[in-house]
Amino acid sequence: MLRIHYSLESELKGGIADIDAPQELSVQVRNLVLKTAKRKKVGHGEIIAEHPSQSGGAFHAAASGTVRDLDYHHLVITCDESGEAVDPADVASMAPGKELLRTLQGLGIDIAVLSSHAEMLVINGMNPEPGVSVAEQLLADEMKTLEAGLEMARTLIEPKQVVLAVADTKEYQLPGASMKAVKPKYPHSLDALVVKAVTGEEFPANTKVMNVMDLYALGKVVQTGKPITETVMTIDGHNYRVPIGTTIRHLLSCLDMKVSSGDTVVLGGSFRGEAVYSLDEGVRKGDYAMFVIPSDTFPRVEDVTCINCGECVLNCPARIQPNLISRYAEYEKFELAEEHGLHSCFECGLCAFSCTMRRPILQYIRFAKDQLRASGQGKQS
Amino acid sequence: MTPPIIKAMSDIATRLTVSPAPHWRCGRTLNSMMRAHLLALIPALVAGIYMYGLSAAATVGLAGSVAVLTEVFCLKLQKREIDVDNFTALYAGILFAFLLPATAPWWVTVVGAIITITLGRTVFGGFGCNPVCASLIGWAFCRLSWPAAMDIDLNLANFVINEPLFQLQKFGVDTLSQFNYTDLFLGKQLGGLGASQVAALTVGGGFLLIRKWIRWYIPVSFLLGVGAVATLFWAIDPGAYAPPLFHILAGSTMFGALFLATDTASSPVGKLPQFLFGLIAGAMVVIIRVYGSYPDGVPFALMLTNLLSPLLDRVRPKPFGGR
Repeated sequence: MLRIHYSLESELKGGIADIDAPQELSVQVRNLVLKTAKRKKVGHGEIIAEHPSQSGGAFHAAASGTVRDLDYHHLVITCDESGEAVDPADVASMAPGKELLRTLQGLGIDIAVLSSHAEMLVINGMNPEPGVSVAEQLLADEMKTLEAGLEMARTLIEPKQVVLAVADTKEYQLPGASMKAVKPKYPHSLDALVVKAVTGEEFPANTKVMNVMDLYALGKVVQTGKPITETVMTIDGHNYRVPIGTTIRHLLSCLDMKVSSGDTVVLGGSFRGEAVYSLDEGVRKGDYAMFVIPSDTFPRVEDVTCINCGECVLNCPARIQPNLISRYAEYEKFELAEEHGLHSCFECGLCAFSCTMRRPILQYIRFAKDQLRASGQGKQS
Repeated sequence: MTPPIIKAMSDIATRLTVSPAPHWRCGRTLNSMMRAHLLALIPALVAGIYMYGLSAAATVGLAGSVAVLTEVFCLKLQKREIDVDNFTALYAGILFAFLLPATAPWWVTVVGAIITITLGRTVFGGFGCNPVCASLIGWAFCRLSWPAAMDIDLNLANFVINEPLFQLQKFGVDTLSQFNYTDLFLGKQLGGLGASQVAALTVGGGFLLIRKWIRWYIPVSFLLGVGAVATLFWAIDPGAYAPPLFHILAGSTMFGALFLATDTASSPVGKLPQFLFGLIAGAMVVIIRVYGSYPDGVPFALMLTNLLSPLLDRVRPKPFGGR
């Protein structure tokens, strides 16, 4: 059995390294509004899709090239030197207001958190999940960009107080922000628990939280005026700057990692990330890690009945009963799941992590949330 | 809208496993849990065989194998996958055997093991769905149907020592001077063949506690419950009621605390509910021992409290951020 560390402490190994430019980019465009077409040429930073929601950021080509393939799910760009790079927008000199927000959204920033005022802004500087060290790497190496991002966030949110939450083993300072030390142990890094550690309240109103990765993206946009086309990821303990859409195959060959049939490749964190089904899948915006998990590391997930051992309840930081909620979700009784505190769950994954029967509890919880969201949308229209 | 079928992407030479988050898991399985539980029973089994001879081994073997065979048969009838290799049936059978006198007639052992699996588990949906600890159902069925065959003192009359709880019930506190606590702790008392091996059970249960296969809430609160109520009676009249330490060491109190009460399906899930469950069950043990017509109150106390589990599970904290 592999020893699991819940610890979020990280030894930083060098700086953020670059990845060789990929030959092909694969971007997930499911449920997005396409802004390009097959066989069209796109320039570096050109918009390829918009988010259908009011606040979601747009998506951009991370390199110049031609759209080779486009279907319901994917957009594949073959990189060449043909397209023209877009001109940077002058974000830094714009006055706060609707126009600035629209510009930021057009450059790929999710403006949900930025579009209204709040009394307190919490910057979550904790490494998000075990095995990921992006947050501390950015705090250590990219302070200038973070400061630029914070400045922008400050002008838009106008908080009375800014607090930076960091692991109690590290000393990082952001100008104008007080510091709050948090024990570096998962799940203390999740937004809901960080806010609780800072304010002492659970889901308080008038408090907003941004993590360091988002702040970095915002800072980068402010500094350069160019759209977001890359993400910083932890792979095997090291941090890399990866263009969005880089295929996993390319990443693996660059880093000389081997994957064989039956292994799991995860984009995102070890606890909350998503397993991909093909090596041709591209890195998505906001992914902060990639994991390759050999097939024999953990016993397989099984969809069997719960035996009521109570491990999920005893481990739940949200004090809900995942055993009951997962059963309600299994039998499509989503309203009952809601009554039992479904929406208190912040999806840390510790329930499924510790499940003796290896039930996909987190999956059931996410399923119930999705179904409720979908049925709510159905009623409105 | 029917979602479009996503075609396999170009390369299928490497077929990845797609599974839901979290992708790291604690690595525990039902199989490893049951193996740990079985391992935890071994000290008591060895002590039982040492004390009662090979008939103890025969009873355990018979109960265990009959339980497994019954489970296979039941799963076949239900057209379910035969998964007896997860050891749950074997464990239930052995727990049942531990409550028997070592020289119990073979047919009682067989019937009891069959009832443990069928009435205890299968009718409720199999392992993990039983509202009451399955082995106790088998025990209660036999105890009520064939009192003579299940009677500890009668079965083991060739031993010089006595069953402490029987002595307490029939002859009063004064006769308890024949037992000293060290002997009781070391298992030198008549009782269920494994259930009265207090020291050996403590070793096994301690192993489960240290490896966190069981949590301390139920065992500790159970012993607290026994101790508190026994102290209450003892304080009222030391001449009429047994001292608390006697209640903890005699009979199957320790077995109940560590193995029967911690049965996953029939005990509550939350921390406070588990604690309350233990307290109530522990209190019931002494009450039944004092007022009941059966010498050892542990099995009946646990069965009754098992039925309270769903109710106790309603004692739950407010969810995170809840109103």
